[in-house]
Amino acid sequence: MDLTEQLGLRNALSESASTLRDHHLYSASKWSAEALNGMKPLSEEQKFALYQKKGQSKVNGESLHTYLPKITPECELQRFYDMDKLTLASSYFDCKEFDRCSSALKGCKSDTATFLRLYSMYLSGERKRDLDSGAVLSENNGNSQNPYLSEISKQLKQLTEAGSGRLTDPFLLYLAGVVATCSKDIPRARELLYQSLTLYPFNWGCWKELLSSLGNFSDASAFLLRFARNSRFTENKCYRVMLLFFEITIHQEFFQTSPEVVNDLQFLEEIFPKFSFVKVQQALVSYNALDYAAAENIFDSVLVLDPLRLDDMDTYSNILYVMEKKSKLSFLAQHTLKVDPLRSETCCVVANYYSLKFDHQKAIMYYKRALALNKRCLSAWTLMGHEFVELKNSHAAIESYRRAVDANNKDFRAWYGLGQAYEVLDMNLYSLYYYQRACALRPMDKRMWQAIGNCSEKLNEYEDAIKAYKKALSVSPEVDPVIMYKLASLYEEKGDVKNVKFYMLQCLKEEEYEGATDETSKARLWLAKHEMQVKNWQHAYNYASELMHGTSHDIEEARAIAREAGERLREQNE
Amino acid sequence: MTPYFNIIMQRQSILVIKFFTMTNDPNDAFWLAQVYYSKGDYQMARNLLSGSQFEESVSCRYLSGLCLLKLEKYDEALDVVGESNPFKKDHHVKNTDGGIKLEASLCYLRGVIYARQNNFEKAKESYKEAVEVDVKCFEAFHELISNSMLTPDEELNLVSHLDFEDADNNADLVKLLYTTLLSKYGNVHKFENAEQRLKDEYNLEENVDLMLARTDLLYVQCRFQDCLELCRKILSKGDLNLQVFPNYLSCLYETGGKNELFLAAHKLAENYPNSYITWLAIGTYYFSIGKVNEARQFFSRASILNPSFGPAWIGFAHTFAVEGEHEQAISAYATASRLFPGSHLPTLFLGMQYLQMKNITLAQEYLNLSLGICSLDPLLLNELGVLYYNEGDLNKAEVFLQKALLSSQNLDSGAKAWCSIHCNLGHVYRREKRYRLAITHFNEVLHMSKGESDVYSSMGLIYLKLGHVSHSIGLLHSALAINSTDAIATELLNKALEINLKLRNSKFIDENTGSVLENKTKEQYVKRRPSNFSTPKDSKNDSQFIRESIDNISFVASDPSGVDNDNDNGDDVMELDTD
Repeated sequence: MDLTEQLGLRNALSESASTLRDHHLYSASKWSAEALNGMKPLSEEQKFALYQKKGQSKVNGESLHTYLPKITPECELQRFYDMDKLTLASSYFDCKEFDRCSSALKGCKSDTATFLRLYSMYLSGERKRDLDSGAVLSENNGNSQNPYLSEISKQLKQLTEAGSGRLTDPFLLYLAGVVATCSKDIPRARELLYQSLTLYPFNWGCWKELLSSLGNFSDASAFLLRFARNSRFTENKCYRVMLLFFEITIHQEFFQTSPEVVNDLQFLEEIFPKFSFVKVQQALVSYNALDYAAAENIFDSVLVLDPLRLDDMDTYSNILYVMEKKSKLSFLAQHTLKVDPLRSETCCVVANYYSLKFDHQKAIMYYKRALALNKRCLSAWTLMGHEFVELKNSHAAIESYRRAVDANNKDFRAWYGLGQAYEVLDMNLYSLYYYQRACALRPMDKRMWQAIGNCSEKLNEYEDAIKAYKKALSVSPEVDPVIMYKLASLYEEKGDVKNVKFYMLQCLKEEEYEGATDETSKARLWLAKHEMQVKNWQHAYNYASELMHGTSHDIEEARAIAREAGERLREQNE
Repeated sequence: MTPYFNIIMQRQSILVIKFFTMTNDPNDAFWLAQVYYSKGDYQMARNLLSGSQFEESVSCRYLSGLCLLKLEKYDEALDVVGESNPFKKDHHVKNTDGGIKLEASLCYLRGVIYARQNNFEKAKESYKEAVEVDVKCFEAFHELISNSMLTPDEELNLVSHLDFEDADNNADLVKLLYTTLLSKYGNVHKFENAEQRLKDEYNLEENVDLMLARTDLLYVQCRFQDCLELCRKILSKGDLNLQVFPNYLSCLYETGGKNELFLAAHKLAENYPNSYITWLAIGTYYFSIGKVNEARQFFSRASILNPSFGPAWIGFAHTFAVEGEHEQAISAYATASRLFPGSHLPTLFLGMQYLQMKNITLAQEYLNLSLGICSLDPLLLNELGVLYYNEGDLNKAEVFLQKALLSSQNLDSGAKAWCSIHCNLGHVYRREKRYRLAITHFNEVLHMSKGESDVYSSMGLIYLKLGHVSHSIGLLHSALAINSTDAIATELLNKALEINLKLRNSKFIDENTGSVLENKTKEQYVKRRPSNFSTPKDSKNDSQFIRESIDNISFVASDPSGVDNDNDNGDDVMELDTD
């Protein structure tokens, strides 16, 4: 990116930060501002030149280039009329008096006023819903609904009809998309969010909303293609950058790693060297690729760059948990508690810490607190489910996992957890379905396929089980004797001796590399027995005599075989 | 009566008695009787006027009739007034002093007596005669209209036949005013025209009566929020205008304004402790907070105070309907419908009760009767749709539900009614196997509200039939998330999961295997490429299988609709309160 393009991007981001703030979309505004400040800083001379240029254009009466959609003179007039009321309503909004804010704007016609009126109504409804919903995992929890949703969508519908079947304000479109998501009308929500983004792509909240509405990777790539074909996004470099952010986040969330993603990330890092968001994405890509050390390093640097930033620290704590770095996790917990004990991220970090110390009750308490603080703290549901599993409380675990997938259906861990919990309850039909869902999200993970295979086996579908295990074998990076043995025993169930032998041999072969394990020993024993049956005494003797590992019963049996095979051999020789 | 006024009357009566004893003239007797009447000494006045010399004088007869009415001696009063109008032929005498013709008043009095005797047919006739004799006899017209004694057609007929010449120069004004008071079912256009002209030409924009008429219209159109705002406006003008209350209270009930209901009821109780409206307000409040027993008591008290007050009867009936006491509800609704032949609501509710009791023939009869009065109420059309659905006449059900949808859009009615129409349409299309349409309608329901579990389970069933097993499972999960004890959803889910195992699992594995094997080849270990992959079954077989599996549960499939239609009816009763 050359300098003029960078200046354009700066312009767009600073404009978006203030516009979004005017619309009271604070977190999106924060994102834009962070992005702006994460860019390569300008030198003194450049800044001065920019200042002069700005002064010049003011003198010449040129208006600055804007990325906001053009507004008609009538709209501008309306906005002017609404100005006083808008000021009043904004100050009510800032004091969190949402009902008062929306009622102050009654009768206002301009887009901004309408947006603020409906948005504050939405927030007020959300707050009422939270009040109604009671404690986390209590009886009523999660069943209450935003009471104003239907009213808002009705009014939006009227606006749409008034505007010849289409909303033209990107923020109203965004709100309509959010409302549609709440009422579970996902296809329409996606369409509305898409429209909003084509009109104004510098609203990160909107991108995020679109991302959370995408359920699987094929939908996501369809949307990416759609954006890529949109001429606005191909022509304008700034638009392109926003799309790039979206692209890498999608790839990260769907566990799709490819060299392109890495390249794109590098490209973005060059433009935004100090933007934590990019770094966190990099860390998450490494985390998903199971490269924990790299992820940890990046998070360390994020922490150094901006020590007071609590966003994504819960993910960092997950990484530390997996790596079992107790002291570092403890430090992180203390640090976040000092920064702000009442943030859901902090609670997650602390919960992870307790979980690592096997204090599951306390961990659950902290997860509940995290969820009470922020309903949208998605990972907390899944992690709480894991804690309940540790406590052998399957029903609570199922409830937690279910809430997790309700909130974010891309979380394969929650789906997998559901499958496991139902397996414990011996409801294999259910767990099969959940494993399928998990597997669809993460087809390159052998654990998913093993789970499906195991489940199919329990349901007596040996054909499917074999296929699933073969699949597991094909995606596993190294050969796994466990799967080999499983396959062999499945074929045994079917009476296909040829295949059994093949896989038993494969399994045994692993002994050369990995040393003896339970499975290889069992395979050896089976082979020995098999050779006995086919009267291949020499082979049977070889197999049986080398069995050193396994239960005493197995070893006894192997000895017996070896003895018998030896005798037979002697008989033969004589 | 103030003491001061009493003193004047006292003096007056002494004077008049003196005159009367001096002259013994019937005119003076009438005068004296009038004084007695205004003092409240009805029996004295009656005694004074009971003589053969008073038979000839219309005014004397009127006054004695009035006295007997006050004494609640209805049969005697009727004797005095006469059972029918003797002036039928010659009522074109012009009254010179600009007041109301005595003959008309006599007719009105007769009407009131008949009404007290519960002889509504005769009362109606008498009122009509009164208006026909003198168009300015507004009391009679008001009785006719406010009690919905006439069907909309009869009302129109009456107004078009009235002779407005009597009203001197104001014929047009009176006609317009009367037109605004007509029932609002079919005459929206006429009403709007009349209202506009009254506003423009007579400068009556801020007139309370005109606004009252407007609230009626808004209420009939189910625009509760607008109606409520107008009612509030009227109330803010003149503090307690009793006429506005029935609409005001119902609107508050509809929009869930419990707190305001509470305040209104208290205000009324302070200011009008003996009015039936007060008891209606209290009853409505208790009904809105779910205290059915108390509500019933207060409704019944209101209806005792004014037996011809329909809203109280309907409220009374509602209290039985919510508790499922169909018989009592029906008898109360029937009373209401006898009192208000011109309103479609009592018959609609009757139809709904019979529908709940599965008495299709009677339900149909009443609903059709209601349809004859008002053809635009979405609720009524919805009920008819449900009726035909239960009868199995899906085509007709569809027609009525579509009509309901159309009129609910026209009338801008509340979201609750709208949802149940969409839901029912969804069920109809599902039964007709027009799955795509059914899905659209169910989706509409879900957009507007979180939805009932049966919406999700119905959609789950549809998707199962269409072969989208995974989607179906997701929907059935949603159904169970809302209502975890839903037996139908549970059974469907088990079925769907079984299908998932039998059909989809192998396909799922196959599909994913293909793509991944291209990416990663591990053939050095698995030397033989898996050769025993079964070829994917063609989709025809799949759907065949699913159909077979679903056949087992199809009895369940028809069941949910039955169950939730019942629920719908229950809701509808709740949705519509006293009118």
